[in-house]
Amino acid sequence: MTDPTTRGVIEGIIPGDSPLGSPGAPEGGEVQVVSSGWRLALREFSENRLALISLLILVLFILFSFIGPLVYHSNQSVTNPLITDLAPGSGHPLGTDQNGFDELGRMMLGGQSALEIGFLAAAIATVIGTLYGALAGLVGGLLDGIMMRFVDILLSIPFLIAVLIIATKYSGTVITLSLVLGVFSWLVPARLVRGEVLTLRVRDFVLAARVMGAGQSRLVFRHLIPNALSVVIVNVTFQVADAILALAYLGFLGFGLQYPATSWGDMLGNAQNNVASGYWWLVYPVGACLVLVVLASNVIGDALRDSLDVRLRRR
Amino acid sequence: MIGYIIRRLIVALIVTIGIAAITFAGLHYLQPSPAATVLGTKAQPAAIAAWNKQHGYDRPEAAQFVSYIGHLARGDFGYSYKLSQSVAALFKENAGRSAYLSGAALVLALLIAIPLGIYQAVKRNTIADYTLSAVNLTLYSMPSFFLGIILIQFFALDWHIFPPGVSSSITTTWGAITHPLQLALPILTLTFITVASFSRYMRSSALDNLGQDYIRLARAKGLSERAVLARHLLRNACLPMITLTGLSIPSLVAGNLLIEVLFNYPGLGLLFYNALGNADYNILLGYTILGGVLTVVGNLIADIAITAADPRIRLN
Repeated sequence: MTDPTTRGVIEGIIPGDSPLGSPGAPEGGEVQVVSSGWRLALREFSENRLALISLLILVLFILFSFIGPLVYHSNQSVTNPLITDLAPGSGHPLGTDQNGFDELGRMMLGGQSALEIGFLAAAIATVIGTLYGALAGLVGGLLDGIMMRFVDILLSIPFLIAVLIIATKYSGTVITLSLVLGVFSWLVPARLVRGEVLTLRVRDFVLAARVMGAGQSRLVFRHLIPNALSVVIVNVTFQVADAILALAYLGFLGFGLQYPATSWGDMLGNAQNNVASGYWWLVYPVGACLVLVVLASNVIGDALRDSLDVRLRRR
Repeated sequence: MIGYIIRRLIVALIVTIGIAAITFAGLHYLQPSPAATVLGTKAQPAAIAAWNKQHGYDRPEAAQFVSYIGHLARGDFGYSYKLSQSVAALFKENAGRSAYLSGAALVLALLIAIPLGIYQAVKRNTIADYTLSAVNLTLYSMPSFFLGIILIQFFALDWHIFPPGVSSSITTTWGAITHPLQLALPILTLTFITVASFSRYMRSSALDNLGQDYIRLARAKGLSERAVLARHLLRNACLPMITLTGLSIPSLVAGNLLIEVLFNYPGLGLLFYNALGNADYNILLGYTILGGVLTVVGNLIADIAITAADPRIRLN
């Protein structure tokens, strides 16, 4: 697992490893096949075994959460006081919780909300952030300054605190929680996209498009945003991981989804008492799911950043 | 340098007022007045109106905000109607305990992360490095409360080394300091989580520096590897730690919400958490603003400290 920020350093600067020896350097007289940057990035990504495993883990979790309940039927709607806190055994492979719900089936439900909210919140944050950042970068000047100071101010307000205060007021559904998390997460993508746009907008192809009479919206949507896309894509992956973690925090603190809907964090809300009572099956399987999904998203993000670096290097 | 600091302070002041304004507006939108909390949900509208008038909550929002800022400038965060104390006194009472928990964890994390990062950089791309990176990334992806629960399982329930939560008899900062066993698990949890993020930066910074000419020169003049690492690499590779420490200032003072809730440790984080359940308006407002201001201050201190430590960095 090579740290993304140092991979270039390892290859380039370490004595005895001349950068000229890199496989991409053209040799005299040979014909080079020029492949597109995206294809290069894809190849680099597919050579990263850890990233492929992580992708597989994510896919498995999507299948587990969404297809799982179709195959594995369990009661998740009516509490049953006769079968609370049962240890894993026949009929309940992962036991039952304090309401008599089957824990394995509940983990599937929790997975659904984690993935739905994770991706939805990331999408909301990315769309708002990309448009805001692109606009700020494009208009420049005073308006850009004001827009970015606003981002600075919002960025200073601690994320978890703000999200918690708002989550106390709105009933926890998948939509409201995605909105709350998304609306507080667009600041970083906004900064990233603005930075990209600032460097892109003075490039020749943008000037050329302008000279040919392209309007502002065409410039933004056809030229600036597509070229800033690699930065955005990497950020989305981390946004998903962060949103799933934040959802877990909210659930653990008791401000997650409204019963009987559940998330992994909600299921861990009582974890302390459960470990004290020895009900390990109510804690570790859920916790492991949570860590695995976040870990997989982080690894994919790291790998994407590395592989898109390859694309950027060719530009 | 002085000019730079003055300019940054002015910007920080503007940002602070912005933070206060946005927080104030947001909270007012969610809950226009604490009257319902104070008088109960069954209070008559007339009683609520009278209470609002008496406490100034019937004035226009802008006027309320201006007077709030005025009080804030004098260190007055308002009054907690639930706990019947001034919010400033509550903050003062809890800040010490929070600072002790976060501070101890920060110091321990630096002491572990710095050698760990250098070790990984020296042993780059070996099994040891890969294993440590894998552990780091796993801890980094783990919610802090879940790590805390795992530690409670092993250290408290299975091995009986530390108590599973902080005893309610710990009421003062001094009490927290003199009962290290009580705080061992919260400090340990926070330390591991911090090491996970710090050592990633430390490793890449050490790797960067290992490739530099001054390291090659130090080796060429025949210094032992130990001297190269301890005397030359260490100081240069530690620069990112200054920034990270500065960015930890908010949690250093305002506490760590999740850890304090998990271990039931009476700090600012737990105060805020209980205020959430009680809709204790002035605590929520004050804590959010405090967190925002500390973030601004932390950034400022980090930037100034890094220039002082590394003259190559010029600020403008």
